[in-house]
Amino acid sequence: MKAPFAKFSPFHVDPEKVMKTFGIEDDDFNKASDAEKESMVEMHKSISYWKDALRRFRANTVSMVALFVFIACLFFAFIGPYLIPYNYADQYRTSQKLGPFEYSDDEKIARLAEGVGDGFYATAIRPGSITGIDPGNYCFRSGGKYYAFTITELTDKVIFILDRDAADPLKLYTETAVQNGAWADYTAISFSDTPAEGATQLKLVRKVFPHVFGTDSSGRDLMARTMYGARVSIIIGVVAALIVLIIGSLYGSISGLAGGPVDFVMMRIVELIYSIPEVLIVLLLQVVLKDPLKAWFDANSDTSAFVRAMSDLGAGIVSIFITFAVLYWVTMARIIRGQVLMLKKQEYVTAATALGASNGRIITKHLLPNCIGPLMITTCLQIPSAIFLESFLSFLGLGVSAPMASLGSLCSDALQTITLYPYRLVFPAIVLTIIVLTLNLVGDGLRDALDPRLKK
Amino acid sequence: MASYILKRVVGSILILLLIMVVTFFLMNAVPGSPFLTEKSTPEQIALANAKYGLDKPKYVQLWNYIKNYCKGDLGVSLKMQEGTPVKDIIFHQGKFELSIKLGIYALLLAIIVGIPLGCLAAYFRGSWLDGLLRVVTTIGVAIPGFVLAALLLIVFSVKLNIFPTRSENLPNFKSYVLPVISLASYYTCYIAKLMRTSMLDAINQDYIRTARAKGVKTGSIILKHALRNSLIPVVTYLGPVTAGIITGSFVIESTFSIPGLGKYFVQSVTSRDYPVIMATTVVLSALVIVMMLVVDIVYKIVDPRITLTAKED
Repeated sequence: MKAPFAKFSPFHVDPEKVMKTFGIEDDDFNKASDAEKESMVEMHKSISYWKDALRRFRANTVSMVALFVFIACLFFAFIGPYLIPYNYADQYRTSQKLGPFEYSDDEKIARLAEGVGDGFYATAIRPGSITGIDPGNYCFRSGGKYYAFTITELTDKVIFILDRDAADPLKLYTETAVQNGAWADYTAISFSDTPAEGATQLKLVRKVFPHVFGTDSSGRDLMARTMYGARVSIIIGVVAALIVLIIGSLYGSISGLAGGPVDFVMMRIVELIYSIPEVLIVLLLQVVLKDPLKAWFDANSDTSAFVRAMSDLGAGIVSIFITFAVLYWVTMARIIRGQVLMLKKQEYVTAATALGASNGRIITKHLLPNCIGPLMITTCLQIPSAIFLESFLSFLGLGVSAPMASLGSLCSDALQTITLYPYRLVFPAIVLTIIVLTLNLVGDGLRDALDPRLKK
Repeated sequence: MASYILKRVVGSILILLLIMVVTFFLMNAVPGSPFLTEKSTPEQIALANAKYGLDKPKYVQLWNYIKNYCKGDLGVSLKMQEGTPVKDIIFHQGKFELSIKLGIYALLLAIIVGIPLGCLAAYFRGSWLDGLLRVVTTIGVAIPGFVLAALLLIVFSVKLNIFPTRSENLPNFKSYVLPVISLASYYTCYIAKLMRTSMLDAINQDYIRTARAKGVKTGSIILKHALRNSLIPVVTYLGPVTAGIITGSFVIESTFSIPGLGKYFVQSVTSRDYPVIMATTVVLSALVIVMMLVVDIVYKIVDPRITLTAKED
């Protein structure tokens, strides 16, 4: 048999010998069949950076568990308020100072009546008094409609139980009647679709839901407040981290790309801000910004959607954002500058420059996308530190103001009554700790996944 | 070395000056006047303003502050303790002493407990002890100081009644325990984590293998060879720790009703007592800045490999 490439060999090597030594056969020189091609691809399937990072992150049990717990916290904060009938700001004056799973007298009666029908209960509340309802016209809203009714004589403690499906939706039960088991029906005396005076004083509660975390001294449900506080804290953390991300990454990449005297001056500014004990300035900033911001919001609240959204958040929170924008971007700027210094020597940056790309384009299209790992890690770890700062400020009575709540302000409120109602502190404190803990762990996991060189 | 120290000292003074300027403008931007009460008339306010020089142009006021501070005169309180020199309020009423004591004990606790814990975790890497310490330190850096303080209060003061709920002037050892622990916990855990990583780094170095090959005992290797080199990151972290402990003292002092400088600073900000705000800010900032300076110099002494002129980024 003649070797197929004998005459091409320039080094006078015996092809027969070569094939024998390396165990090559003639068949090996045939074209690969489709099936073989397929299996080759399988063996060397390329893994993209993100897939690889995702695989590493998944393998990290602790971070995965932390991620799921954090997602549960997100559900608690963002979906939870829609699942419970209480609102963070509503004060149920008959349900003050309840412990976890305790019921007020009104709620106990309403629970007794619950068997009668799947209904609503409403406690009539008169400003300045806990019990008793004067004769007069009242109204409350159910199923999108306002129902007005009249009480002709002074009544102590009234519970209204509404059965939505019944033909006659409004029924009145007096306390004694319910306790005696005799369900005296008082049909509403007059119905109307227009609200009567004092409508705002009526708080409607769909069924009697337990106060899982108890209530505070003003009769606000603490679970609703904790959910709301967690939401506020998470939003503050994320927005503050995004602010830091934008300012820090732009500043860092401009400084790194520019180099020379520009870099020198920019980095001295960073060092200056870095060495200022920031919390002292932050405290002052909070006090300074709060009132002017509030006044400005009141004056401009209808100019744009952005201003309206900001004024809904309140001056306290916005001044926290401003604080972050002024003082806290320096760490991010340093990290990104370091990355950019490394990246800007790469060939693709030279190529982009040669093609006439502007500096702005190089930063946004080439440098920042390649810093995505450090960017994500630092941003993720910035969130808990922002939550920390916010809770610290709220604890000192700055930050958010009542009836708004954040986890820090809830802890701070609870501390006033710690000897009597320790549980008021425990719940927000646990939620705060869990959020910070899980974010830290997720951040660590991200770092290990995105930047394996850093892993020890 | 001398030129470096000189440069750093000058830099620190400049930063303090900058802080004074920033504080001055911030506190003047706070709406309201320190003399504004329900009873005061505009004439009275104008009179009081004239008395304390608040009617002068802002730059003159600022210049007066800087001039007087150079002479060591911190001004007199306008409101909180009217007429009392601020220097007396800070240094002679025990406020500074209380805060400093609390801070130093917390710092010592963080160092004395944090470093050995980190070493233990590194030495027994992968064992149950390492795992336990990792869990504890991870949770420790996730609990805000005031939350821990309040939880400790509930358990040890309210329920078990071992320690007092109000530490007041820190009269005895018992009253120190809870404030110091809650102030130090975050930093203890952070130092332990830091120490573990840097100790692991050090243990894997060649000179450790050499020492082992020479037959040096394990304990001696850890204490003499590995520890010294792994202390460097911890030393660098001490600057931020000082700043953090001062910050933390604000909340810890109000939680445990300790009348220290941190609590006083917060009060002075809300009551707009300008000279007190300025003095407390400058004193606390000076503490932090001096600590950073000391750390940088110690850093150089501990590790001669570090070049001081070109700081890494």
